[in-house]
Amino acid sequence: MSAVVAEFRRNRLSLSYVIVVALLILLVVAGGFLSDRFLTWRNFGNLFQQLVVLGMVSLGQTFVVLLGGIDLAVGSLVSASTVFIAHFLEWRPDLLWLALPLALIAATTIGALNGLLTIVLRVHPLIVTLGMSSIIFGGTLMYNKEPGGSVPRGLADFSYAKLWGIPVTAIVLVAIFALAGLWLQRSRSGRSIYFVGGDREAARLNGLPVSRIVVMAYALSGLCAGLAAIFLTARTGVGDPRIGTALTLQSITPVVVGGTVLAGGRGGVLGTLLGVLLVTMLNNLLNFLNVSSYYQWVIQGLIIIIAVSIHATKRRQ
Amino acid sequence: MVTPVIELSRIEKEYPGVKPLDRVDFAVRSGEIHALLGENGAGKSTLIRVMGGAIRPNGGSMTYLGKPVSWQSPKQARAAGIHVIHQELALFPELSVAENILVDAQPRNGLGLISGRARHARAAEILSQLGVKISTHAKIDELPLADQQMVEIAKALVGEVRLLVLDEPTAVISGHEVDLLFDNMRRLKREGVGIVYVSHRLEEIFEIADRVTILKDGQVAGNGPVGDLTRDEMITKMVGRRLEQIYPPRRKAPASGPDILKVSNLRAGYRVRDVSLSVRPGEVVGIAGMVGSGRTEVAEVIFGKRDLDGGTIEFEGRPFDRRMPREAIRNGLGFLTENRKDEGLFLGLPISANVMAPDLAGVTRRGLIDRRGEREIALEQIRNFAVAAPSPEVKVGNLSGGNQQKVLFGRWSRIARKLLILDEPTRGVDIGAKVEIYRIVRNLAEQGVGILMISSELPEIIGLSDRIFVMSQGHVAGEIDGASATEEAIIDLAVRSVDRRESKAARLEQVA
Repeated sequence: MSAVVAEFRRNRLSLSYVIVVALLILLVVAGGFLSDRFLTWRNFGNLFQQLVVLGMVSLGQTFVVLLGGIDLAVGSLVSASTVFIAHFLEWRPDLLWLALPLALIAATTIGALNGLLTIVLRVHPLIVTLGMSSIIFGGTLMYNKEPGGSVPRGLADFSYAKLWGIPVTAIVLVAIFALAGLWLQRSRSGRSIYFVGGDREAARLNGLPVSRIVVMAYALSGLCAGLAAIFLTARTGVGDPRIGTALTLQSITPVVVGGTVLAGGRGGVLGTLLGVLLVTMLNNLLNFLNVSSYYQWVIQGLIIIIAVSIHATKRRQ
Repeated sequence: MVTPVIELSRIEKEYPGVKPLDRVDFAVRSGEIHALLGENGAGKSTLIRVMGGAIRPNGGSMTYLGKPVSWQSPKQARAAGIHVIHQELALFPELSVAENILVDAQPRNGLGLISGRARHARAAEILSQLGVKISTHAKIDELPLADQQMVEIAKALVGEVRLLVLDEPTAVISGHEVDLLFDNMRRLKREGVGIVYVSHRLEEIFEIADRVTILKDGQVAGNGPVGDLTRDEMITKMVGRRLEQIYPPRRKAPASGPDILKVSNLRAGYRVRDVSLSVRPGEVVGIAGMVGSGRTEVAEVIFGKRDLDGGTIEFEGRPFDRRMPREAIRNGLGFLTENRKDEGLFLGLPISANVMAPDLAGVTRRGLIDRRGEREIALEQIRNFAVAAPSPEVKVGNLSGGNQQKVLFGRWSRIARKLLILDEPTRGVDIGAKVEIYRIVRNLAEQGVGILMISSELPEIIGLSDRIFVMSQGHVAGEIDGASATEEAIIDLAVRSVDRRESKAARLEQVA
């Protein structure tokens, strides 16, 4: 038992997380003082609902960043998926059971294609996914320029459903994160992401199927984008070809704030979850304080730079 | 009495929990080659960095050219004429030789712009001083390592150099390249430059150095003229104990049984032209040869890392067709690469993950990695190979070179049940760890594993191998029995230039 506790201390509560948790506590305390509506059950209900989409996309981004890559196509992929889902469901609301899996399969396939292209073409993932992002964005706009489509009542209800006062979507998100954490730490394929991200050539010489792992990580990022699109469509009720644009860069913030290194091989999903919480809570508090969104951008920028520089200093020690 | 170029007195450096330098006295005279000896972790690099201004000591004093100094930065030390050449060369691989040599002294023309012509002229002048023929237009990554090193030395000669520090310069070069380096060191010495020379190779110390200082655990364990100390005395002072036997006993009878590995007429790229060799269970087969003779490439082809153009490779009589490292591992092969940091270890991951990397399946129970099982295996390997680490969770990047190498042995000894390929297994490893590695290699062989070992250190090849293949220019120039091998015999084969017509004739003969 003591060995388990020791291991828990060493791995889970590494200093990276301590920093983010400290910032979170600071934020909650400050929020409590600054606004009487912030520290309420109801606000936290809303807050968890808000972080689901960003959380999902950031989770996918975490896999790719751990691998030493980056996925700049996630935003466009989310947009395209919402358009697909909303229009499909407007056409046949009764085929919900078909629409959602189809959307997920399509998103996963596009993700896998990203991974495959980085390997086959030997082009930096930044370029491949940037190009892919543009292709998806343009392709979606060709099909549909304005928000449109609709979703059946059941799906919309799902996005507002609560269990013991907690949004169901948030519970689903946390469950997915837990699953992802278990997978990364305890499965062969998950562990392999750390190997490939840590040193690709070393991974190859250790007999790991490097190409397969790369494709898998990008495919998972696509899958996460598809899931995010389902949450998003359920909440907004429409498919919007521009809705995900900002998500691409937003999804990187929680990953790096949570201590995952851009060069790959170090980090994890717990950090990302904490990062998502931090970013969303910060924006939520600033909204309460009637701070304009311009300042929110500035503050978010500062958070990235400060948090990552703290991680970097710590790592050097 | 000649005044020293640099004199360090009671220098101390302390980090929390460790004291890499403890009241060290060290002086280098002008026109002297001063060898700095010590195991890894003895404090050599810290001492070098203190002299070069990269580290500020906590105590003691430093005198340079008769004046007390205290460097604020490496730049200040360099401006004063101290030039440090680290083992990892500080060159820009994509830039030309001239740009690298004059990296912080780019000549300007009348308009204040960098003058390409003046740059090449100045760079060529410096290179000719060194007596090397390197095009100033060549890109660094087109040059062999030995030439890159010369470029690094050329950089030192741009300004006035009074103290030159060379950190293990011969670790990456061999043969006549070492001779060229030594010639240049002697020339600089005649010009009154003080030279600090760090090396693990004792033979070189006797050849080139005038005086020696031996560090042990951050303290000076001995110093004096090189002639006053014997090789054994130096080793004893370095390790703090006597090394009775460096190499474990060879096997008594020649290995029998079918070949584990049989390589016939292997061709790959321009480095591997015609290589045939074999390894039997339980024997240590050495591959000797100059750097660039194709040794590493042969190992890479065998392991499936590099494609082959012709010839055959057989593992236990079966052809090795699906050519990738994964298949090699599946067949019971392991490969300790010469570059453990880039092609072996995951520096950011713990020892346990590094040991288990090629064998995750071995600790997976019902789809999940069994962490306790993984930890136990790692602990066992830490014990088996005497890795100095408090727990399997320690990141490999925080271990010393010798311990990193032992982690790799811990990894591959489990996987490589048939054949283990070792490429420079003791590079950058101190003498205590070397002896341990030799023992490990022999133990593995005694358990029936075939060992194929590449090394630039002839004493190591001779001391450890049962049979030795000597390579020259992509060919196997000859096979020697390990017990009766001499350095002369190996070198004689290694420098033998293979006549192209002759080998072509040989090939034609085989076809016919």
